[in-house]
Amino acid sequence: MIEIKYPDVLLDSLENGHMIVDDAFNVSYWNRWLSINTQIPKEEIIGKSLEKFFPQINYKVLYRKIKTALTIGTPTFYDVNSAKKFVPIERNKVTTSSLRLMQQQVTISPYIACENKVMISIYDISELFEAKLLIKKEAQKVQTLNEKLEADKEVIDKNIMVMKTSTNGIIRDVSSFFCDFFEVTKRELLGKNISMFKLSDTSDVIYRDLWETIRSKIPWSGELQYKTSKGQKKWFLARVVPILNELREIVEFSAVFHDITNEKLLAELYITDPLTKLYNRAHFDETINFIAKNQRKSDVDFILAIVDIDYFKRINDTYGHQVGDDALVCVAKNIKKSLRENDLVARWGGEEFVIMLKNVTLDEAQKIMEKVRSNIEKNIVCHDIKVTASFGLTKYRENEEPKETFKRVDDALYEAKDGGRNRIVVK
Amino acid sequence: MNLEFNEEQIDALREFMNVSIGAATASLASLLDAFGTMHIPKIEICNSSELSNKIESTVDLNSMYYVTKQLFTGKFGGECIFLVSEASATNLGRHLYAIQTPSCDEVNDAVIELTNILTSTIVSRLTQELGIQVQFFVPYLHFTDAHSIVDDGDISKYSKIIIISTILDFQDQQIKGNIYILTKDEAIESLRALIDEKLEEIYG
Amino acid sequence: MKVLVVDDSKIARISVIKNVVGVMPDVEVFEATNGLEAVELFAKERPSAVFLDLTMPVMNGYEALKRIMEIDKAAQVIIVSADIQSEAKLRVLAAGAKNMYPKPINHEIVKLVFEKDLLV
Repeated sequence: MIEIKYPDVLLDSLENGHMIVDDAFNVSYWNRWLSINTQIPKEEIIGKSLEKFFPQINYKVLYRKIKTALTIGTPTFYDVNSAKKFVPIERNKVTTSSLRLMQQQVTISPYIACENKVMISIYDISELFEAKLLIKKEAQKVQTLNEKLEADKEVIDKNIMVMKTSTNGIIRDVSSFFCDFFEVTKRELLGKNISMFKLSDTSDVIYRDLWETIRSKIPWSGELQYKTSKGQKKWFLARVVPILNELREIVEFSAVFHDITNEKLLAELYITDPLTKLYNRAHFDETINFIAKNQRKSDVDFILAIVDIDYFKRINDTYGHQVGDDALVCVAKNIKKSLRENDLVARWGGEEFVIMLKNVTLDEAQKIMEKVRSNIEKNIVCHDIKVTASFGLTKYRENEEPKETFKRVDDALYEAKDGGRNRIVVK
Repeated sequence: MNLEFNEEQIDALREFMNVSIGAATASLASLLDAFGTMHIPKIEICNSSELSNKIESTVDLNSMYYVTKQLFTGKFGGECIFLVSEASATNLGRHLYAIQTPSCDEVNDAVIELTNILTSTIVSRLTQELGIQVQFFVPYLHFTDAHSIVDDGDISKYSKIIIISTILDFQDQQIKGNIYILTKDEAIESLRALIDEKLEEIYG
Repeated sequence: MKVLVVDDSKIARISVIKNVVGVMPDVEVFEATNGLEAVELFAKERPSAVFLDLTMPVMNGYEALKRIMEIDKAAQVIIVSADIQSEAKLRVLAAGAKNMYPKPINHEIVKLVFEKDLLV
């Protein structure tokens, strides 16, 4: 090993502060780093006490540390996180202001024990400390976010129906709101198959569409119907999302339900005639206008029929409004039961009904209406009262305005009335 | 890697440790101008995953702790942990700074200083017994609850560790602390080799 | 002569015995691993000298010293301990120990013990 001839040069080249002091704090060495950073040149401080230059140091503590280092023969340290700085050194870092003064690690090493001399070394650990502060700040941010997230989760749990299932439909999690809505406990649901919520009233078509969509990794949205154990009908707006992993494999399904039963009931009320439970005129108008406007091939092929109860005013005047109402309900029922599922019938006003018979010829329509007519004629409204009705029929012509169709069918009805009532006229 | 210790090796290690703690207690006694009661050191070899449980079983789970960790390196390297409860640390700060209500900085510094003396004396004395030299690093202090003394996520699960623990006990001053010297894997092996040399010397 | 060596550590006992035998080859050695064993063996064998550790399980050295001195006021007890606090030494001397030496002890110390501390 070589002998180091110029230890001064060596210590001056170091990027930390080194001084040698004795137990009376007299400085006998002061390296270049200290001269530059404290702006006290070594000529000024050597031979003098540290106390004159740095009165803020707790010398009782320093004395103890010096003694300890000398006694145990190993270095002693100051707390590196301390807010107090051993020697305050301004930092010139402009890009951040989190640390105005240099954070220091101070080590007191025994130097010449018999002369009670120690070496005090000061290391600049500001960058490390700054990084620590930054991490702390970020950790706090994360915590705040987490708290917010927890609060949001709580809000979701309490107010939104959420369900998570495995790929094969085993229920993994449900929100409290979901449980409350269906009046079940979470424990009853977890681990069960989704089929326990058999959406009995939802048509198989919708159900199949749902599964096919989500299995092909696409979210599905739509309306679902459910009948509760008490027999109440419920409607849900549902959105089912397949959750994928990084390999784009389905991990689970997440579903959000929104109860739209009230909206559904309201909407139904809005388009229903309260007395006959048939659709009302507004709904019929909307439908026929929609068809006329869009002219879809499958829609435009229909027969329009109009039914008017004969001598209705006389029934009202003779037997009272209650019987008149009964007559309306009776006729409505007779019409309804003779039609197919996708035919449309509405109360047009007063004692008039309109019917849209889909995908039939005029002849076929006439036969259906003939059945309706004879049924009305045969059925007793109440007591021994019977009514008859007159019919007008016409075929909708493509690209025709609905009012033209109505004009023809009205003409037909007029002819039926004029021809003696209780009959069908086709135009 | 054979990391088992036989009874004789453990006995020897405990005795070296006893001598080291004796030296440390004396250093602290002169620092605090008080008398410390010595306790028999405990030596355990376990998996690193058990460390947190072992430590938690020796502390008061309802108390907050000053935890100082200091590393030492060399032929025998490891980590020294010194645990002192909030109440004890305040007593220590009070005693060392001779003031009724020491500031946070003063308590921290007192704990650091105590750790410093403890670890340097214990480890120096131990390594002196074993005839080797070690280097000490600056101690780091944390203030934490009893469950967060060891970060389970941080320690590798497959290390064997040796826990040498004892209690620092200055009854009159109500200062009590737990000392753990932890070392793992290769350091355990070299520790055992050093003990064997020493045993050879004494028995031979 | 009979010598009682008390220490919970085997290696510590061996170290003491080795050095005692080195100085006094003809001694008859008795061993105890804690204070209680030591007191019982002392009562039975009445050794001329006792080398006693302080930090031990079951019964520590302070208590054992007290009991031994109660059995025999003239008992010659040498404390060999890792506890090197001056306060500890004051305490054991006050309790009747002849002297106290820090661990580990060596040939020179044991020689000194037999020359200066003990009446053989």
